[in-house]
Amino acid sequence: MGIISNPPSLLNIIDFMKKKGAIIEIVLAIVSLSSVLILILIVVFVFNEALPALLFLGPRLILGGKWAPYYEEYGALPLILGSLLVVLGSALIAVPLGVLSAIFLTEYLPRSLGEPLRSIIELLGTIPSIIYGFLGMIFIAPVISNLFEVPLGKTALTGSIVLSIMIVPTIVSISSEVIASVPKEYKMAALALGATKWQCIKSVILPTAMPGIFASILLALGRAIGETIAVLMVCGCVPIIPSPPWNYLSPVHTLTSAIALDMGEVAIGSLHYHVLFGLGVILMLITFTVNTIADILLKKAPRSVIRV
Amino acid sequence: MKKYRFLEKFIFISLSLPVTALILCFLWILVSIGVEGVKSLSWKFLITSVMDGGIFESIVGTLYMLGGAVTIATPIGVATAVYLAEYAKGGKIARIIIQAIHNIAGIPSIIFGLFGYTFFCTFLGFGISLLSGWLTLACMILPIIVSGSYEAISMVPLSFKKAAIALGASKLRVIRDVVIPTAAPGIATSIILGISRVAGETAAILFTSCVYLTNGLPSNPLQPVMTLTYNLFGMLVATPRDSLGDAFAMALVLLMIVIVLNTFAYFMRIYYRRRWNI
Repeated sequence: MGIISNPPSLLNIIDFMKKKGAIIEIVLAIVSLSSVLILILIVVFVFNEALPALLFLGPRLILGGKWAPYYEEYGALPLILGSLLVVLGSALIAVPLGVLSAIFLTEYLPRSLGEPLRSIIELLGTIPSIIYGFLGMIFIAPVISNLFEVPLGKTALTGSIVLSIMIVPTIVSISSEVIASVPKEYKMAALALGATKWQCIKSVILPTAMPGIFASILLALGRAIGETIAVLMVCGCVPIIPSPPWNYLSPVHTLTSAIALDMGEVAIGSLHYHVLFGLGVILMLITFTVNTIADILLKKAPRSVIRV
Repeated sequence: MKKYRFLEKFIFISLSLPVTALILCFLWILVSIGVEGVKSLSWKFLITSVMDGGIFESIVGTLYMLGGAVTIATPIGVATAVYLAEYAKGGKIARIIIQAIHNIAGIPSIIFGLFGYTFFCTFLGFGISLLSGWLTLACMILPIIVSGSYEAISMVPLSFKKAAIALGASKLRVIRDVVIPTAAPGIATSIILGISRVAGETAAILFTSCVYLTNGLPSNPLQPVMTLTYNLFGMLVATPRDSLGDAFAMALVLLMIVIVLNTFAYFMRIYYRRRWNI
């Protein structure tokens, strides 16, 4: 008793440190919640500006078949179909390319070779979209023009080709992570039963990795729908519904390029201005749905792939 | 048996084709822009004013843009990562924040443009300015910095932290003197990736902070700016193309910036993973 007694001053220091720690934690929590705030602000402000158009046009905004803002025709159907056409086309090219690449990189190449090659493919995804648009305009459009005899060569097909290269890295990157995360025991069991490498991949690895591969495809599609500049430069920006609707050699206009092109010259507060935000809301709903499904699927991956 | 061996070989070869195609595609992009770009690229082109056919203002404008956006996003992003990794581990708040970050990461850049226009330019009254661009892009790269920093911070070995705690360090000190310095290369990598994203961005700054043909550089953050991407976009879309050489040179500068930054980030990540044997 009394030999080791905390002097009050030390107690005060510990008390102070505890309080300081608590304050810092609260400050960090508040700063971290700013991302929640940003998300809320984005949704509220874009939706708020879209509201007049949504109220005035109602379902006509989505179902209207004619987009001619200067004649006050605000039907976004041609734009939505244009976006879907280009995105589906790009998926048809990018999915086989990306998934097969991911299988090859993770299962057939040693890690020391597969990793660097994967990084080069990932570099494709970091090249700015303006450069893709530029290359598409200068090199791909003339080829399309000559091959199929369409003037200018700015078509849905051109857009799909350019876009597919832009989204392939997303598929390769996430798919190969998912494929690599399939437990080794599964593979060994299959090989021990006498399966060949391809049989093992086909009937063990791919089925296990399938939800994750689907997720990677969806994430790539989400990115494709939101892509603006490259699509604007190579798709021709003609707001018509192609006839027949799957005619890839027709020029198309998309949701994103309509926003980008018109925003610069629109009168603030006009119906046209609000309609552009309405297009933004449609775009956000599509990407949100696609990304949410992808998130749910990714959680089903064998070992949860690290993604924050 | 022979049939299988043949089949395996066939599959190996056909699976190698997509990878080869993608690598060739990357090389083609490099070569096609490189060859044409080098022809019209010169020091004079880089340091001549836009008014006289150069791209000086665009280069400085891009540097201004990425400097500001990263300065705003880094403290918020790193603080969020520290909070998620060290304080709120798996709690309810952490889950909400992670969900929000996910959703922000999925928003297309053109939507950031719309948001920046209504919120920063109009609602907060910053107008079409460098400041609006900084804030818009800071929101856009926040997820990149948070997820990169989070990964780096969670890789710091527990033994490091335990050693510091055993020496009597408070939690704050452990974070400040052990966790952040150890995670610094990983945090820096995420910042570099953010810079590269800003440097190549067009859609989000199209109507929040750019004008075509500026009168010199912005003298304060409330003035509009011109960037490489916007300059190239204007050259290709707004004006009839008379001289593609300049466009190629500009595309080459842009491509070099992005590829150098990303390659640097790649090697940093490799170094980092080796260090922790992951």
